[in-house]
Amino acid sequence: MYANIALSMLGSMPTAIEGTSRLIVDIAMFFGLLVIVAMALNFQYGNAGIPNMGCAVQVIIGAFTISAIVMRIMFTVAAQTGVPLDNWNNDFKWIYSNPANVGLMNEFLKSQAVLSMGFLLLSIGLAMILGAGIGYLLALPAIRLRATYLMIVLITVADASQIIGRNVTQISGGTLGVWIPDVFAWYPGDRGVITAVITLFIGLVSFFIFRTMLNSPYGRLMRALRENEVTIGSVGKNVVGIRRNILMFASGITAIAGVMNCYYLLYSNENGYQRAYWTYWPWLMLILGGPGNNAGTFLGAALIIALRRIIIVYKFTIQQFFFFPISYLEDIILGGLLVVVMIFRPNGLIPEKLLYIPGINYAKMVQEEVKVDWRAAPKARQKAAEDKAKKEAKK
Amino acid sequence: MEVPTIWLMAITYASELTLLCIGFTLTYLTAKIPNFAHGTYAGFGIYVSYTFAKFFHISPYMGFPLAFLIGGLISLAVFKLVFGTLAKMGSGAIVLTIATLAIQIFLGAILNIYAYSFVAFFGQYATGFLLKEWDFVVAGSIAGIFFVAIGISIAVVLVLHYLLTRTKLGIAMRATAEDPELASVLGININNIQLFSWFVTGGLACLAGAMIPMWFMSSPTTGSGIITSIMAGSLLGGFENVYGAIVGGFTIGISEIMFTLAGQLTLGTWFGEYRPLVPMTFLIIVLLIEPRGLQGFYERYKASRTKPKAAEAAPAAPTEKEEKK
Repeated sequence: MYANIALSMLGSMPTAIEGTSRLIVDIAMFFGLLVIVAMALNFQYGNAGIPNMGCAVQVIIGAFTISAIVMRIMFTVAAQTGVPLDNWNNDFKWIYSNPANVGLMNEFLKSQAVLSMGFLLLSIGLAMILGAGIGYLLALPAIRLRATYLMIVLITVADASQIIGRNVTQISGGTLGVWIPDVFAWYPGDRGVITAVITLFIGLVSFFIFRTMLNSPYGRLMRALRENEVTIGSVGKNVVGIRRNILMFASGITAIAGVMNCYYLLYSNENGYQRAYWTYWPWLMLILGGPGNNAGTFLGAALIIALRRIIIVYKFTIQQFFFFPISYLEDIILGGLLVVVMIFRPNGLIPEKLLYIPGINYAKMVQEEVKVDWRAAPKARQKAAEDKAKKEAKK
Repeated sequence: MEVPTIWLMAITYASELTLLCIGFTLTYLTAKIPNFAHGTYAGFGIYVSYTFAKFFHISPYMGFPLAFLIGGLISLAVFKLVFGTLAKMGSGAIVLTIATLAIQIFLGAILNIYAYSFVAFFGQYATGFLLKEWDFVVAGSIAGIFFVAIGISIAVVLVLHYLLTRTKLGIAMRATAEDPELASVLGININNIQLFSWFVTGGLACLAGAMIPMWFMSSPTTGSGIITSIMAGSLLGGFENVYGAIVGGFTIGISEIMFTLAGQLTLGTWFGEYRPLVPMTFLIIVLLIEPRGLQGFYERYKASRTKPKAAEAAPAAPTEKEEKK
């Protein structure tokens, strides 16, 4: 049994091809995954001012969609066409007959290109629907309150989803995890390349969707909401509803990252969806690149992914210089870089640009804006308060 | 009369959590942000106790003053290096909260490295431990930490009450929390007050952390894991009221342990895995019903009692004036 698991593990590892080209494919794949998350985050935080600290929840929903729903559908379809699958209906069988079942499924999917793509589209669609649903549920307790309450709720729910995934084996195989059938088994070349290409394509499509939405009147509404929600409320817009819609839409897009991550690793386990990885690293990308700016998000994602992947790949070389495990060094880089960027580059590497409005030279209109020196602002405010106090004293 | 051990355990945990909640609420009052790194300060306290017991072979109780000092200094350093700078730059509440998360990751990594250095240099296993054998025993079976924890938390509550209501420093702290600009106009040095309150919050968190390994299994991630309970307790108390935090922290601490036990007894042992979900459920229920927690309930109750009187008093006032005329 264990030899079987180990063999299937070796056979499906993405490191089957050695060398620098493998590193490039790997970087491209994770760039595609995290750029989807970071772009959705930019849509929420950079443009609408919603601090979504629960990206990990939405990604984990994408992964759980595959392991809990789509995989059962796959097994049912395959069993009806006559593949001799083992029973998968109880807790024990779900985990222990899983490697053998997935092996049979991969053999079956090798000749079924159309069906495989159908499964891929089905899982993406389902993940988007469920992601939007979880976005709605997350928005319920805290969207009408101060932004910090939303952050608290989302962070705690990220932990809660991991605890549930760890203990309910039917969802994602508990602590052991489950193997996922390979929907790219029909592809004759390297399956890492096609997964990366499809992920990057999804990233590109979502980039255009986000860009179109931003340059539409809805985008201007979002930016206005970020700047001053009271004004938006007073001109008759439903502030809570707009926020909830944005959160739901971005949640749906974020869930796709979980789906593609599952199909790349061919393995699903709650332990791979820790909030440190799926929430804080995208936030670092966003803040490093510059919030409110898709180009900045791309740049930040590329820099951070390259850094992280190089640390992971050359782990054993770097390890010689440190007495502690390298993962703690990664944490130090993550925390330190976030603080340093926020202090020394508050606008990120690429500052935010004005939105494109057809027919209006918006840039010319705002050229005469008053420049506020934020470093001097507290002193100015203090001075104003002192003046006010003096006036009151005179009265 | 014999008290069941589980109640002693729950009260010990609740006392430690109360100290953490008080610190969290004080930070929220002075800086207006939830400090996610607050639990990680407690992690440093845990390792002060570990170092005293397992490395110097002294009773961990000797380390409590040092834990208070270390926590205060870490908190001061965090304020001086990060929050002070970011607040001077005029950053909003969201950016400051993300900064606390970054500090949580950074300090957590340092704590992990410190724990790992025992493994690397001294061959001691330091990433999961319990210091129960270093504790003293009262009346045959009751662990000493029960009395120490409840004593320290009652003392802290009394001292804090005295400080906030009777001394000039405490009144200055309250004024700074209400309106920093107005307080500075009145001649209060806000910077010093903020430094003092950050020192106290960090110290209290670290002190509470130092008490945790005396009864509970501890590891470098214990500190950052406890943050959900701290936030639930503070939120139940209303986030902006120190007395609310005392009640909220104690309630969450007791209910976290007792609900888990009740679930284990009625539903089965698997419920123990879901212990972190208890404070999370509290948090979401409080947000859904009354986002201002117990303080909001109290204010509503007060308003419902005073409203009829005010309505009666309002028409009565002009008549008196008319009589005088």
